[in-house]
Amino acid sequence: MNKHMIALLCIVIAGAFYPLLFPGYLSIAITLLLFVGWATAWDILGGWAGQVSLGHASFVGLGGYFVAVGATHHGLDPWWTIAMGMASAAALAFAWGKLTFKLTGPYFTLSTIAIAEIIRLISINEGWLTGGATGVFIFSLPEPFGVDLFARETNFYLALAFAALCIFTVISISRSKFGYQLRAVREDESSAMASGINPATIKLKAFMISAGLTALGGGIYAIFLSFLEPHFIFFLLLSVQIALTAIIGGRGTIWGPAAGAVLIIGSGEVFRTTFAEANMLIYGLLIMLVVIFMPRGIIGEPVRYLIRRTYAKRAQS
Amino acid sequence: MFDYVSFLQNLSNGLLIGGVYALIGVGLTLVFGVMKTINFAHGDFVVLGMYGAVLLYTLFGWDPYLSLVLAMPVAFFIGVAIQRVVLSRLVNAPPESSLLVTLGLALVIGNILLLTFGAEPKSVNTPYSSSTFSIGEISLSVILVLAGIATLVIIGGLYILLNRTELGRAIRATSENRLGAELVGINTRRIEAIVFGIGASLAVAAGVALIPLLFATPTFSGAIFTLKAFVVTVLGGLGNIGAAIAGGLLLGVVEVLGASYITSDYRDAYGLVVFLLVLLLRPEGLFGKTVNRV
Repeated sequence: MNKHMIALLCIVIAGAFYPLLFPGYLSIAITLLLFVGWATAWDILGGWAGQVSLGHASFVGLGGYFVAVGATHHGLDPWWTIAMGMASAAALAFAWGKLTFKLTGPYFTLSTIAIAEIIRLISINEGWLTGGATGVFIFSLPEPFGVDLFARETNFYLALAFAALCIFTVISISRSKFGYQLRAVREDESSAMASGINPATIKLKAFMISAGLTALGGGIYAIFLSFLEPHFIFFLLLSVQIALTAIIGGRGTIWGPAAGAVLIIGSGEVFRTTFAEANMLIYGLLIMLVVIFMPRGIIGEPVRYLIRRTYAKRAQS
Repeated sequence: MFDYVSFLQNLSNGLLIGGVYALIGVGLTLVFGVMKTINFAHGDFVVLGMYGAVLLYTLFGWDPYLSLVLAMPVAFFIGVAIQRVVLSRLVNAPPESSLLVTLGLALVIGNILLLTFGAEPKSVNTPYSSSTFSIGEISLSVILVLAGIATLVIIGGLYILLNRTELGRAIRATSENRLGAELVGINTRRIEAIVFGIGASLAVAAGVALIPLLFATPTFSGAIFTLKAFVVTVLGGLGNIGAAIAGGLLLGVVEVLGASYITSDYRDAYGLVVFLLVLLLRPEGLFGKTVNRV
């Protein structure tokens, strides 16, 4: 049980009281928690493995659509459809990674945009599969143990559990053998290969975990919205939001993506009346400032500074 | 029985649309060649050009093709300013940094347009917007032909600039070998600023040429044009101008033929599929020099 786990546990326990204290601000908290989870899940591939994907909206959409279409057209319970969504997302990530992981750097990023766009076009045009461009509406969900899944409180606890699970996964990865393998691949694939790591397998594993977790968030998002539109949920803009949230916070750090989500969703809420629909302006300005002045992100820079200072002190004494 | 008339009709439409795609792609590939930066804001410069033409039309009643004369130089200076203030700070940073910064730039441009002009689509309605003329049995849209002529003139001008002037020589030298260019006394930082300006100017020109034909939306169109520009340049091979022109024409033809012979629902997907295939099977581009891979 290291200090990160304890911190996570404290935050989750404190967070559990949030609906009692601020019952009027639940929707914003749910959005925030979903972005914490998505950004953290994105970071497993984008930060720890160093493969910047701008296609994660596909997995959000996949997870969401399994829940929505399952509930509306086939009468399936959400826990089954969420599991199916996660499994299909991991399978999609496997095929996707097999296809594109030989591309590096910006070329990989471009290919993720192209694949995600093709998936979005399929979701809009194949009405028999997805309900088409008009979207799907979730009318009814089962009530396990008398809990109303549509209630904001339920959504909040689901989102809190999702965000906590994502951060828990990253904490477990960070000190494991897999975590070190990921970092080795990110820094230099050839050297990683020289020390007996297969970069293709490692990257695939990271992509599949990242995609599965993102789809879980997508399923919860579908229950929260109870209405899904393919134009929005599969769109590049959502992928960009997820990726930028993580990068602004700090790639390859445990708390960076969460901090990025707090900063961005928070400032989005503050400026909502000023900018109205132009809320992406904040993402644009922040990412430019962060990349130019704090290339390791708002959490990454101070952490690096502290680590360097510790080493310097140790070297002096 | 194969219908030749409609095939030729589709082919000519595809080539004309492709000409504009080529204009968008040339700017992106030129910037990539010199700065090794994938400019995510390129499509938003196209949209900026569209709104510039809308503005000049509503304020002064200028015809879009007349406003090219003002829009291109203005875009050049905007591009130079952006490069000087923002991108020049990233010369030695990893390639992803400049990708992220231009992505941020794209969001900023798109959302500023959204705040200024509102979310509803805008267009310029010229008297010749819907008129056509015919050669034999093929009818051509006047707008597309005008856009094609504008493209030819601009790309011709660019060709002369790159191959017949001292500045063009410096640009080509920087693109081929940055260090070598610096050794023979070329100020590569100045060249980068100029090239980014030219890229912005070409994108804006494409936007102005397209506005009588398409509606401009502030945030959505930018991403679409950027994607098309990527497709065009990767089809041809990044950094190669002649190939970008061929890639643009090819994309136009593939889109129009795919839409009329397969299904129009997936019009935007055909280019993306070809793009992925080229990226995976022949990353140097269809017309690039063949590289032996293991």
